[in-house]
Amino acid sequence: MTAKPRFGRTELPDRQAEVLKASIRIEWATLVFLVITIALVYLVLGNSQAMKAAWIEDMLSLAPPLAFLIAVRIVNRTPTMRHPYGFHRSIGIAHLVAGVALFTMGAYLIADSASGLIAAEHPPIGSVELFGHVVWLGWLMMGVMALTIPLPIYFGRQKMALAKELHDKVLYADADMNKADWQTAVGSIVGVAGIGVGLWWADSAAAIFIAASIVWDGVKNVRAAITDLMDSRATTFDDGAPHPLGRHIVDELRTLRWVEDAGVRLRDQGHVFHAEAFVVSRWGKVSLTDLESARDRLIDLDWKLQDVVVVPVEELPEEVGGSVHDRQSERNQ
Amino acid sequence: MSMFLRSATPTTLAIVAVSLLAGCGISIPNDPDGTLDRVTGGELRVGVSESAPWTETAGSGAPTGTEVDLVEEFAENLHADVDWTEGGEADLVSALERGELDLVIGGFTDTTPWTSKAAMTQPYAESTNDEGTTAKHVMLAPMGENAFLVRLERFLLEGDGEQK
Repeated sequence: MTAKPRFGRTELPDRQAEVLKASIRIEWATLVFLVITIALVYLVLGNSQAMKAAWIEDMLSLAPPLAFLIAVRIVNRTPTMRHPYGFHRSIGIAHLVAGVALFTMGAYLIADSASGLIAAEHPPIGSVELFGHVVWLGWLMMGVMALTIPLPIYFGRQKMALAKELHDKVLYADADMNKADWQTAVGSIVGVAGIGVGLWWADSAAAIFIAASIVWDGVKNVRAAITDLMDSRATTFDDGAPHPLGRHIVDELRTLRWVEDAGVRLRDQGHVFHAEAFVVSRWGKVSLTDLESARDRLIDLDWKLQDVVVVPVEELPEEVGGSVHDRQSERNQ
Repeated sequence: MSMFLRSATPTTLAIVAVSLLAGCGISIPNDPDGTLDRVTGGELRVGVSESAPWTETAGSGAPTGTEVDLVEEFAENLHADVDWTEGGEADLVSALERGELDLVIGGFTDTTPWTSKAAMTQPYAESTNDEGTTAKHVMLAPMGENAFLVRLERFLLEGDGEQK
C-alpha cells in the first residue's frame, strides 16, 4: 500500500484514513467468518429445505464484503485522461451490487417459504450420529444457528458507525446484510424449534416474517444506489436526508463580499462529492483571484470536496434555486 | 412483558421458548400428524417393493428379505403389527404422501430421487455391487413426521442395524 490512503486525488485526513483501515479489516473478518459459517451450515444441512435456504443466504452475504474490498482497491486510482472524473463511481456500483444481493436474498426467502406453505410441505428433520449417540439434527441446527448470531450483530454495528464516518454506502448496505444474517438465524432457530414441537409450518412462517424486512432493506439500498448513479442530489450515508454539505457550500459562498447569490449542484461520486457551484457577482464581473479563493474555501469545507468547479453566471440556473423560466436551453438570453 | 421482550436478545427468547415447550411434556421432535403415537401398540402400515436380497415379494404369503426382517423387529419394538402392502415404488411413495402408509422399503439408497416426496432415513447399511460402487441403504418415512423418523433411525443405528 502507498504511504497515505487516498480516494483518487483526495488524500484522506488521518481520521478517515484510520476508519478506512478499520473498514477493510472488518470486511476481511466478515469474509473469514462467512466462509466458516458456510462450511459449518453445509455440514448440518441434512435434507432440510430451511437449512438449505439459510446456506444460500450465507453465500449471498459474501457479495457486499467482496464488492467493498474490490471497490476500495479501484477507488484508490488517480484520475486519468480516459477517466477524468476518477474511479469513485466504483463505490456506487458496489453499492448497487450489495443492494441487489440483499434484495435477492429476501425475495428468494419469501418465494421459497411461500411455496412451501402453499404446498403444505412438512419439512423432515431426522437424526444424526454424534459421538456414538443418535441425536435429533434439529438440536444441532439450532446450535449452529445460535453460534452465527453474535458476530453479525457486532459487525453490523461497527460497520454502521464506519459507514457514517467514511460516507460509504457499501458499508451501510453490508451492515443491513449483517442484520439480515442474524435475523434469519433467529428465524431458523424459532422455525426449527417449531418443527420440533410438531408445527410443520413454523419454519416457513418465521422465514417469511423476517424476509419481508430484508426485501425492504434491499429495495431501499437498490433505489439509493440507482439514484446516486443517476446523479440525484447528494444525500447522507443512510439516504435519510439531503447531505448538509450542499447547504454549507451555498452559505459559504454567500459570505463572500462579491457574491450576490449562489447555488450548487452536488452529486455523490461514491465517498467524495463533485460540486458545481454557480455564483452571481454583485458587480457584474469577477476576478480570477476571487474565483480561485472561493474554490479553495469550498475545498477546505470537507474532505469529501476536492472536485469543485465555481462558475460565474449572470443568473442562477433554475435547478439550483434560480427563478423559473419556460425556456429549455441553458444558454443565456 | 414488553420491557422484557426489548431487553432480551432473540437468542435467549428462542431458548426460553424451546425450554418452556419442552417443559410442557411435549417430546421433541414431535409428529405434526401423530404417526409414532398411532403406530405404537397399533398397526405399522409398510409398503414393500421387490428388490432382492433386501425385499422379496415373489413367494406366496408375507414378504421376506433383510429389510423385511428389520421392519418386523422395529414393529415388535413398538408393540405394533405389520400390515404389508406390495407394489411399485411410485404407487407406494404416493400412498406414503397421502398418509396411507407409514413406511416404504425396497432397497432404496441415499441417491433415491424420492426425497421431495418422502423423508429419507440415515443410511443404516452399506453394500458394494459388482462394479465396486458402494451404496448406502435407506428407508422412506412420511415427510415431516420427525418423531417417527428419529425413532426409526435410532432403531436402525443403535439397534442391530448391521447387514446380516
